[in-house]
Amino acid sequence: MTSQSDTVADRIETARAEIAPTTALAIFGFGVAITFTLLLLQEPLAHESLHNFRHAAGIVCH
Amino acid sequence: MFFAYLKRGLLAGGVAGIAYGLFMATVANPLVGYLEHVQHGHSHAPDGGSVVAESTTAIVSVGGGLLWALFLGGCFGIALYFLEPALPGRGAAKGFVLAASGFLTISVTPWLVLPPFAPGAEQVLGIDTRFALYAGLVALGGLIAASSVLAYNRVEPQSRGLAVVAGALPVVTAVAVLPTVSPTLVSHPELSADLVAAYRAMVVLSQGSIWVLIAAAFGWLQRRNGVETTVSETAGTTT
Repeated sequence: MTSQSDTVADRIETARAEIAPTTALAIFGFGVAITFTLLLLQEPLAHESLHNFRHAAGIVCH
Repeated sequence: MFFAYLKRGLLAGGVAGIAYGLFMATVANPLVGYLEHVQHGHSHAPDGGSVVAESTTAIVSVGGGLLWALFLGGCFGIALYFLEPALPGRGAAKGFVLAASGFLTISVTPWLVLPPFAPGAEQVLGIDTRFALYAGLVALGGLIAASSVLAYNRVEPQSRGLAVVAGALPVVTAVAVLPTVSPTLVSHPELSADLVAAYRAMVVLSQGSIWVLIAAAFGWLQRRNGVETTVSETAGTTT
């Protein structure tokens, strides 16, 4: 079986074998923590500082 | 193998991020600043003055551009790892299909209803409503991209040309129908229509370029490292 012939289910299976649940949890938790920090910073300074970028990227919030 | 894809995605995102950061610094920052000064009274601060110095805004926006591409690159790597077997095409072409799907999902579909706006735009809807609408449109975009890929895969064994038509159908329909049925939600009373059109074209092209760059850099990194197979990796970990 090569990477050309495997399926999406195989990939999920491989990822499961490769990544321990604790690792996945740690990565996920860290991601949530980063998002939380960003949301915390959002108002108002960081948000205002990203003003040009938000316009240029066409991101909805304003 | 998963981490190889994630790492490659982040690297590709870094390449695109440097390019996009340069674009922010040289094109987008001055343009947004200009548009702001052309129209009087546009500001986010309640008292009319800006909370943050303009130079800070410029620098943070460049960094934001870099991080944005890095984030997209990481997501691209993870998504490609899982979806690669289901995507049409072979080799790097799969990456470009995924990049197009990502662009369609998070940018193009929302823009069909809520087009990119320059400073000073007048919005019909409030922020909360727009966020909810945006989230709904991203979900719709994902559905359109998925149905397009599924349609292509289903028809492909019979005829490749027909499959391309079948795959393009959902996308073309959405792009043709959505803007006509949705009301105008954003207007720029103080800017000329030409300027707004040029501004929107800039946003669309620059965001599209990020995706193309990510897919191209990813494909290049993959070719350089040699494509690893699921089998050899699994065998390596189990034996």
